[in-house]
Formats: sequence, C-alpha cells, structure tokens
Amino acid sequence: MSKHSAINRFGRSRNPAFSRNFDQGGFRTQSSSEMNAGSGFRTTSSVAESTDIMTLDGAVNKTGILLALCFTGAAVGWNIPALTLPAGILGFILALVTIFRSPSKAGTTAPFYALVQGVMLGGISLMYENLYDGIAIQAIGLTFGILASLLVCYKSGLIKPTENFRLMVGAGIGGIFILYMVSFVMSFFGSGISLLSPTNGSLMSIGLSLGIVCFASLSLVLDFDYIEEGAEKGLPKYMEWYGAFSLMVTLIWLYLEILRLLAKINSRR
Amino acid sequence: MSNALIFGGMAIVSLFVFMNLGKIKASKNQTGRENRINRFKEGQKKFTGNKDVTDHGGFE
Repeated sequence: MSKHSAINRFGRSRNPAFSRNFDQGGFRTQSSSEMNAGSGFRTTSSVAESTDIMTLDGAVNKTGILLALCFTGAAVGWNIPALTLPAGILGFILALVTIFRSPSKAGTTAPFYALVQGVMLGGISLMYENLYDGIAIQAIGLTFGILASLLVCYKSGLIKPTENFRLMVGAGIGGIFILYMVSFVMSFFGSGISLLSPTNGSLMSIGLSLGIVCFASLSLVLDFDYIEEGAEKGLPKYMEWYGAFSLMVTLIWLYLEILRLLAKINSRR
Repeated sequence: MSNALIFGGMAIVSLFVFMNLGKIKASKNQTGRENRINRFKEGQKKFTGNKDVTDHGGFE
C-alpha cells in the first residue's frame, strides 16, 4: 500500500511514535516488522486518541469475526466439496498477499482469506469424516482446547516466549516446511513421504505428527505475544487485523495437523 | 453422539475462554520480563493511550 492510499484509508496516525514510520512507508511484514524508528520518536505533548491504535479487544474481536467467516466457509465447503482445491489455492495466494505485499490491507484480505480457507477446511474435513466418523468435531475441539489452554499459560506467564524460543519454533517450522516441500515435489513423480500420509499409522509417523502439532501449538504462543506487544506499543489499528490473521493462519495449520494426527491414530484400529 | 457433545462442548468453552481472556492484559510476570522478544525497535517508548508522550530526545 502506498503512503497516500494508506493515509486515505486509515487516516493519519496521531500517535507520535508512529508518525515517522508512516512517513517512511509504514510497516513491513510480521517477520520483519521492526519499526524504522531511527533516532527515536518524535517529541510532542499532543494527546493521541486510543481509537487509532491497536488494542487487545480489537484483535480478539477481529479473530472472532474471522473464525465466524471460517465456519461459514466451512459449511459451504462441506456441502460443495468440489470447491476444496480452488479455495485452497486462492487462500494460499491471499495469505501470501497479506504477509508479503500489504499487512496494512489485512482488513480487506484477511476476511476473504478466512472465508476461502473455511471452504477448503470444510471439504477436507468431509474427506476425513468419510474415512473416520466423528473425526472433524474431535479436531475442532482439540484445536480450540489447545488455543484456550495455551492462552491461559501465556497470560499467566507460565510460558514465556523469548528470542531463543522464537528461534527454536522458527527452526522447527522451517524444517517442517522443507519436509512438506520435498513431499510436494516427490508427489509429481508419483511418490511421497509415507510418514506424512494420514493412512500411515506407524509409531514413527504418529510421532512426527505429534511433533508438528507441538510446533504449530507453540507458534500460537508467538502470535499471542505479537498481539500483546503490538497493543502495548500502540501499533496502528490495522495491525489488529494482521494479528487476527496470523492467529487464523496458525489455527488453520493446527487444525489440519490435528486432523492428520487423529486419522493416523484411527488407522491403527 | 457423546463424541460430538464432548468435543463440541470443549470447543465452545474454549472459544468462550479465548474471547474473554484474550482481552485481558497478560500478567506482570509475562510483560515485565527483561528477556521479552523485541519485535519493534529498542527505544520505542511504551504508548499509554491517554497520557501525554514525553520528550525522548528524538527528531523534530
């Protein structure tokens, strides 16, 4: 988003801590969202309005909106499974656009992302449900159970995300990504990594899935911390959408991995 | 049926916890740490809503 269109859409931030950042092009992606504060921030005695800045309330409410949209999409995908693949591809593109192109437009792209990913999840859930009855509701319950329990752990200070924690989770996710990519490329040659197959009920395969679920869960903690820190430091309002979006990405990943794990466990019966 | 009730109930309760607890600020134990991840550059002063922002020796 250009500087002028951002200002037209969101208004000029009256938060003095960010006025310089807007002048320099605003925020970048989540992974590199260090603010270009340069030599500090502007000195002023003006009172900034709290309506212009990110809040915990706003981020949680927006996550609720995205979840509602995701469930709506899932109802569509459940009834029209043919939409699963196109919705998955479209959701992937929307995620890339939101992350790399314009976090400031997350308010526009994130709801569409949640909706189309919901369609994809609905189709995939139906596929698993046809294999193992009742698996989808188990995965939903476990996903939200993990979300709530980790939030309690985070808020109480039981889990403390540090720089090393972030490095560990980042390295783990990087490894998992490489594994997925190798499996994806191998699939073009009619092969694949059997450990990732939902029908592989070996202990090794279940252990791998458990590990992936752990990393997906831990990245939820990083999302909580991101939102908490963003609200503390008074990021621009649109970052509420971005925080909610990043939480949704992690939740969708977690749900899919739990589905796969449950399928593997069920395949042993 | 009991499967759906148990896990559905778990999902609803968890969502309720998330929607309420998520809006509460984290404990001092969490926010007051020195080894927090600093995603936004050092020197960025905490913005406290309605309070006046004081001089920090920056530009302007």
